[in-house]
Amino acid sequence: MTTEQYAIPGLTNVLYIDLTSQSYHIEERPDLYEKYLGGIGIATNLMLEEYKEGTGPLDPEMPLILSTGPLSGVYPTCTKTVALFRSPLNGELGESYAGGHLAMSMRYSGYETIVIKGASRYPVYVAVHDDKVTFRDASSIWHLSSAIDVGKILREVEPGAGRRSIIRIGPAGEKGITYASVNVDTYRHFGRLGLGTVFGAKKLKALLISGNREIKSPEHKAYRKTVSMLYDTIVKTGLTEKYHNLGTSENILVLNELKGLPTRNLQEASFEGAETISGEVFADKYLIRRVSCAGCPIGCVHIAMLKRQFSKAHEYETLNISYDFELIYALGSNLGVADPEAVLELIDACEKAGVDIISMGVVLAWATEMQQRGKISTQETIGLKLSWGDKASYLRAIELVVQAPNEFYTALGKGVDYASKKYGGEEFAVQLGGLEIPGYHTGLGNTLGLSVSSRHSHLDNAGYAADQAAFNRPIPDEKIVEYIIEEEDRRSVLNCMVACLFARNVYTYENIILALKSIGIERTEEELKELGKDIFRKKHELKKKFGFRFENLTLPKRFFETASTTGMLEEERVRKAIEMYREKRGV
Amino acid sequence: MAKRLKVANPARCIGCYSCMMACARTWYDTISLKNSRIDIQTKGGIETPYAQIVCHACIDPPCMRACPLGALTKRKGGGVNLNEEICDGCGNCIEACIMGAIHLDAEKKAVICKHCGVCPKFCPHDVLEMIEVEDSGEIKVTDTGPVEDTNPVSPTASHKELYGEKESGEEK
Ligand code: SF4
Ligand code: SF4
Ligand code: SF4
Ligand code: SF4
Repeated sequence: MTTEQYAIPGLTNVLYIDLTSQSYHIEERPDLYEKYLGGIGIATNLMLEEYKEGTGPLDPEMPLILSTGPLSGVYPTCTKTVALFRSPLNGELGESYAGGHLAMSMRYSGYETIVIKGASRYPVYVAVHDDKVTFRDASSIWHLSSAIDVGKILREVEPGAGRRSIIRIGPAGEKGITYASVNVDTYRHFGRLGLGTVFGAKKLKALLISGNREIKSPEHKAYRKTVSMLYDTIVKTGLTEKYHNLGTSENILVLNELKGLPTRNLQEASFEGAETISGEVFADKYLIRRVSCAGCPIGCVHIAMLKRQFSKAHEYETLNISYDFELIYALGSNLGVADPEAVLELIDACEKAGVDIISMGVVLAWATEMQQRGKISTQETIGLKLSWGDKASYLRAIELVVQAPNEFYTALGKGVDYASKKYGGEEFAVQLGGLEIPGYHTGLGNTLGLSVSSRHSHLDNAGYAADQAAFNRPIPDEKIVEYIIEEEDRRSVLNCMVACLFARNVYTYENIILALKSIGIERTEEELKELGKDIFRKKHELKKKFGFRFENLTLPKRFFETASTTGMLEEERVRKAIEMYREKRGV
Repeated sequence: MAKRLKVANPARCIGCYSCMMACARTWYDTISLKNSRIDIQTKGGIETPYAQIVCHACIDPPCMRACPLGALTKRKGGGVNLNEEICDGCGNCIEACIMGAIHLDAEKKAVICKHCGVCPKFCPHDVLEMIEVEDSGEIKVTDTGPVEDTNPVSPTASHKELYGEKESGEEK
């Protein structure tokens, strides 16, 4: 296919920003977009081009890449931006997705992909307004105690209200906590694997993008028809009901019932306090509104209001906090916290610090068990006594992890894998591939899925869903492996578009083909499936360069000591399934 | 029967921009937020409620009075009709509309809501509605009969039950 025939408006360039020299340039890369369309496809290839063997995750030369796709800002619920980097947490592939206004702002600014390299000598923030890129001294907002406040300040100094996205880090990113997150427009995040740490190392406090350009479809009528169809499918069928309704936190009771909800550092898989931290309770008592990513009619972002008394004289403050299933698991069941208000306060503390909440929850759960087993004492914790359900000490612990006043807390700030290698307790450090696990203990599909996923995330292959199916009707292990492979490839295609995975059942291959066609891009199902496989191979190539080896995967004993949804799991069985996966994948 | 757009339930807005995208792609062949006749604004990021800025369908439109060329005429049901041939982009109407509902497009023509009814079909949260009004634009008062308690519609209804039955969003 030649460039002239390729009728995607935009989708040709890459904006390169160099923080060392505070300069930028634009490269035309129609070749890349033609082949890979956008998102993870583009980002993976650019990373392969840019990465020089031996560059560490926090070295200035290490690039970070943000990419949107052909459907971003064009169709409903295609709202995500992919960030690709080398993870400071596990040294592996750092891949994370965030919603908010970022994808729409990038797309309408005319830059579908941004590569950021170098490091500034002093804190800066970068503002992109359509084609203008400016670098501004951010020393005065460095050291702010809250990632939320950074947005409040930049909203005042920069133009583009309502058409922009502000992504920024908090103290955790500045301090080098290896699982620091990047806050996207207050309520969304690049959460996992430490993009915030990479920002911090580059002295990049924030990136602001506003765009108000337009895109045109060569077939506007067809485009309008397709939008209507997709909008109806999202809003008027039951396909996204869960997210319209209770949201992901609906899963607290579901997984608890299935005995797949990690509790107290996965010593158990169901929580006696689940009833009080359920999605139902949060909705009934605390939910005040839902908001959406720009361009998504679902509005899955659930905002709770917490009214907190701070003096006997009836003085109150109110906090607006967004919550989700994973957060309630990480700071609720996994820490034995059954008080919903305590969960909200802990979420708020992590939000302000700018850390990945799943990682923080698992780290604190591990530390609690370590202390209970007498493997660490109050000497290491500087007097703090951690115990299940104790909100006050967990709030303090979050502060201490970010401040890193001694060796122990510094180790906690490097993740549970690092800390357990140093202090022991690796058997119950619930990580896979060096990443603290999300809130599922459902069986083979989940444990296998997290192990083999290129970013060790349930979002790559939904292994837990295979387990849920196996719970109802036993499925042979080989079928579970095949399910995971198919799901990975399908999601890679969605991640090129870049659609929100909550709409994965709306954007079937058929609908993706139609959506692309209506803006002048022809693809067949075979081509898309091949694209998914190609991306897998490219990502694996990259992971190998970063040092990943299947042979080195450790499987902590805890996964085999606590019964899962589908019963006791044996290490042998997981190892075999990993081998099966490798054979089928040819890696 | 005259109809007009009404921002019926502003606090229900989720900030999805579906209305803006719909307006822009209907009246300009564009995929963007540009030239949408309705504007969704944030005052303090998405931490604070959204504001929906759109023509209020004035019964006696100040924008019309302010236009020196007579490009704006009274619309049946309130608001104005714009004669694009005549409009020269002077911007007087923008000044006159304290709703802030008018802007100019790239061709320097005023962009004002036509009360066409497209955007409510793309609002997933009942923020926007088309209401029936007198030709003058006055609110229509009809014999309602007994009033039912309709709010909330049904606390147990699923999203699909609430919205699945509605007229399709297919544009005219
Ligand atoms: S479903 Fe939620 S996360 Fe996904 S695009 Fe919509 S609002 Fe954003
Ligand atoms: S544009 Fe403004 S002044 Fe004119 S009719 Fe509408 S609300 Fe009134
Ligand atoms: S009623 Fe029509 S013209 Fe007015 S804002 Fe809605 S879509 Fe645009
Ligand atoms: S479509 Fe409705 S909910 Fe969405 S931004 Fe517009 S008014 Fe708000």
